Amino acid sequence: MSTATLSPTEAVVVPSGRSARSRRPRLPGQKPFAPLRVVAFVILALLAIGWLLPFLWAVATGFKTETDAASGDPSWIGASGPTLDAFGAILSQGNVYLWAWNSLLTSVAITVITVAISALAAYAFSRLDFRGRKWLFVAIIAAIVVPPQVLIIPLFYEMLAFNLVDTYWGLILPQVVAPAMVFILKKFFDAVPIELEDAARVDGASRLRVFWSIILPLSRPILASVAIFVFIGAWNNFLWPFLVINDTTLMTLPVGLQTVISAYGVQYAQVMAQAVLAALPLIVVFLVFQKQIVKGVATSGFGGQ
Amino acid sequence: MTTTASTRAVVTGRKSSDPFRPAGPRRREQLVSWAFLAPFLIAFALFLVWPILHGIYLSFTDQSLTGAGGDLVGFANYAEALSDPVMWQSLWNTVWFTLLSTVPLVALSLIMAALVDRGLPGQWLWRLSFFMPYLLASTVISQIWVWIFNPQIGAANNILKALGLQPLAWLQNPDTNMLSIVIATVWWTVGFNFLLYLAAMQNIPPQQYEAASLDGAGAWRQFWSITLPQLGPATVLILILQILASLKLFDQAYQMLGGVASDTTRSIVQYIFESGFVNYRFGYSAAISYVFFALIIIIGVAQALVTRRRKVQ
Amino acid sequence: MTPPLDLSRRQFLTAASLTAGAALLAGCAPGTASGSPTQTLQFWHLLSGGDGVTMSQLLDGVNKAQSAYRIRPTVLAWGTPYYTKLAMAGAGGRAPDVAIMHATRVPGWAPGGLLDDWDLDRLAELGVDESTFPEPIWKKGIVGGKRFSIALDAHPFVLMYNTDICDAAGELDSDGQLKKTSSPEEFLDQLRAVGGSAKGHALSYGYLGDGAQMWRLFYGLYAQHGLAIELPAGRQMGIDKDAAVETLAFMKTLLDGEIAAAQNDYGTAVAEFATGKSGMLMTGVWELRTMQNAKLPFDATMIPTLYGTPAAYADSHSFVLPHQAHADEHRRDLTYRFVSDMLKGSFGWAEAGHIPAYLPVTESPDYAKLLPQAHYADAAQHVVYDPEAWFTGSGSNFQGEFGAAVQGVLLSGDDPGAAIDRFIRRVNTLLAQPNPADPEGKWK
Repeated sequence: MSTATLSPTEAVVVPSGRSARSRRPRLPGQKPFAPLRVVAFVILALLAIGWLLPFLWAVATGFKTETDAASGDPSWIGASGPTLDAFGAILSQGNVYLWAWNSLLTSVAITVITVAISALAAYAFSRLDFRGRKWLFVAIIAAIVVPPQVLIIPLFYEMLAFNLVDTYWGLILPQVVAPAMVFILKKFFDAVPIELEDAARVDGASRLRVFWSIILPLSRPILASVAIFVFIGAWNNFLWPFLVINDTTLMTLPVGLQTVISAYGVQYAQVMAQAVLAALPLIVVFLVFQKQIVKGVATSGFGGQ
Repeated sequence: MTTTASTRAVVTGRKSSDPFRPAGPRRREQLVSWAFLAPFLIAFALFLVWPILHGIYLSFTDQSLTGAGGDLVGFANYAEALSDPVMWQSLWNTVWFTLLSTVPLVALSLIMAALVDRGLPGQWLWRLSFFMPYLLASTVISQIWVWIFNPQIGAANNILKALGLQPLAWLQNPDTNMLSIVIATVWWTVGFNFLLYLAAMQNIPPQQYEAASLDGAGAWRQFWSITLPQLGPATVLILILQILASLKLFDQAYQMLGGVASDTTRSIVQYIFESGFVNYRFGYSAAISYVFFALIIIIGVAQALVTRRRKVQ
Repeated sequence: MTPPLDLSRRQFLTAASLTAGAALLAGCAPGTASGSPTQTLQFWHLLSGGDGVTMSQLLDGVNKAQSAYRIRPTVLAWGTPYYTKLAMAGAGGRAPDVAIMHATRVPGWAPGGLLDDWDLDRLAELGVDESTFPEPIWKKGIVGGKRFSIALDAHPFVLMYNTDICDAAGELDSDGQLKKTSSPEEFLDQLRAVGGSAKGHALSYGYLGDGAQMWRLFYGLYAQHGLAIELPAGRQMGIDKDAAVETLAFMKTLLDGEIAAAQNDYGTAVAEFATGKSGMLMTGVWELRTMQNAKLPFDATMIPTLYGTPAAYADSHSFVLPHQAHADEHRRDLTYRFVSDMLKGSFGWAEAGHIPAYLPVTESPDYAKLLPQAHYADAAQHVVYDPEAWFTGSGSNFQGEFGAAVQGVLLSGDDPGAAIDRFIRRVNTLLAQPNPADPEGKWK
């Protein structure tokens, strides 16, 4: 049950074979500071600043004292100067590092399993022929519409029956079902030329062999993108981990941090500090892997023709 | 990129290029298929299909989350759902949200991608700025935007005041609270569509632009005549996914309006959640869910029939 | 060369089944050791933030003072999901030994068999009985003739006031406490006087987007009329519309921008008072620490009795016994001991601002020295809870529904009569629905 808000879409067209360059070369005759380019740059810069501002505000608020944060003073640094109190308060309460570790462990497990089983299934839909194939595929696509809130209560009773409540596996297993990923990967595999496999199969390689040695290496970019989107969804998931885990030492980061924030009073600085802390690991992941993400989405081959 | 039809037939057993036409499945291939599918299908059956079936069963009972109830009540829950004004209001709120948010989410992402695709310096910064909100959890963005929309000390009203305008009670006023949620959602998820559009644009062969440039077409003209027309398929996909995601609206609307049950922002999923989680009426909650699905399926099927008829024509 | 298809498939299936098997095995939870000298008791509560720290200290104290049992607390986020989790854990036979619930949520639960009732004799043996609790608090714990909750505290909605500002305005009496007012007009006059001496508004009251805040002030004032809203199952809501409209209208007059800011939310109001800008604050006692940390010169008292009958809107954190699938008598005994130990040690809980429900603590000389807690301790005798129904109480939707109905009155000056009508209609719809914990009406 992948809870990515938006799922990456199908590859519409064959990869053009051209490496995705993030920057279109300047066309002949185009001046670097042509008025239209400058205007475009200004608009782009304004948009980007507008998009970054809310998060930067949150970060700045996290460094203020509670009084400053609630005072309504819009300046970046509070009247009492910057302080680490809010961050300190969040980090010292509860088991923040343990929760981060739990999140890491479970998110990685979910990602690995989801990508593995989705790729296998997608390959079957793409290359293999079997009875009921069309209807099965339709059923899987229909499942994309299902919101997780509808599933979790029956799912919880199921986990109770399997005795998996309050365990890592109880947390992980329901989250490995990602029909959208199967859909995307199938579309990608469809676009891979079949001769590559045909040659190997004529030589006697098994399906599994072909899958492992030919298809997977070719699919690295799309697999990386799928992996990253699954990871983000798993990391940020709140409702299911909240329901299935009671043990404070097994909680994931979003769940654990919610228990640290005061119930009654609203302490803005702490709330923002908590928001920043919860988001930090993912931002780091994105910064490190952003090239792969963009490349992956690009070479999955959208648009064109 | 052509394949010899005969080679394909030998290797795959498929006699035509249409992947969906069965060509007499060979037993071995059947078994291999199921082996590949098994892990996913087991998980799918256990963790998706079974809960749905169980939920459908429960929708015919008065099952409560507290363990009480559980007797079959026939169609009573469905009758109640269809005559429940809050249910219809929630459905309308969801549709309204979808209409309000889809346009900016598609248009803005297109503009952003077009600007970034020009190859202006600072690529990583633009990508980070627009995509970064997507990395944040719903609780985080809700907290940030509740803070921004705070009538006394929030940045939104500070900007309004600086412009000489009246401050608004963004999230509290029924006239503006859905709009506030739309704004927060656009900020949160536009980065995803942006990436998709960017990728689509980067797959357009530069030769086309070179040729147009040699013919004397300016940047604006090139965008209109070369880029835009080729974004058709990407746009259709983004639209479909956007609409599907919008219909599932819950997290940010619920969290940003947490303290006051708002008739103007309660989405259908929120009503499902409230009926089950807050009022403990799981049977009723399930009935509402399946009414919702039925509606989506009806619309989806209708849309598919219409497009097919158009294609045939 | 024949492709080793069979082998790869078999390998594959073996791997798949091994993984599945491992998954199931790993999920088996180890059974708790029984007969060990120190029993571990599972305790769930929803006290986080500052309250959470205080509760942890109390639990540490209780754990250290004896060795028969050890409490293992689980803190879960406050609100709807806590109750859902508790319900599902109970329904699934995995409930904790003891839990905290708001007293107002118990009526919605008791009929469902999720809770066991307390044995009054066993409690009396441990020094916990009717005489050790204020009357309204003790009565609240009874549902259907049986006792389901034992209150740890009452946390009322009170009036905090800045002693410096009020002194400068001449509104303190000879004891240094706020002069008593007994009618709306007197109170408004007092506020205006205080407003003259304050840098900001006379009163801070945050309500925006917060149904709970709106309800707390409303229902406390409504109850001061000597009235109570009735919610008889399957029938219509019993409410005095005139009194309700009068109360709402009075609340609106406070929010004129002069006495109090017209659009404050909870946090902004607290901040306005904590930074010394306003003279008074209407809030819950849980904000005590915030004011002490801000080193504010302040005191607190019950919301002034403007309509005749003293009333303090409150809720109580109460101990409940989740129903156990396999009740262990020894563990139950220890649970009773734990609750009694906590009550006797609840002086520390008072330091967080709550009024301990256990009278031997609040009537002790040490408590009389605890300021400003001692100045509002009498609220415990006049506690008014949410009207009893399965859908009311802290963390339920009831207060949100109230907010939805009346926010327009406070924010934009809508007609209070129409707002109350809206509220009544919505509540009647809920009343018509059966208690989900008892859908077939088998209880009572």
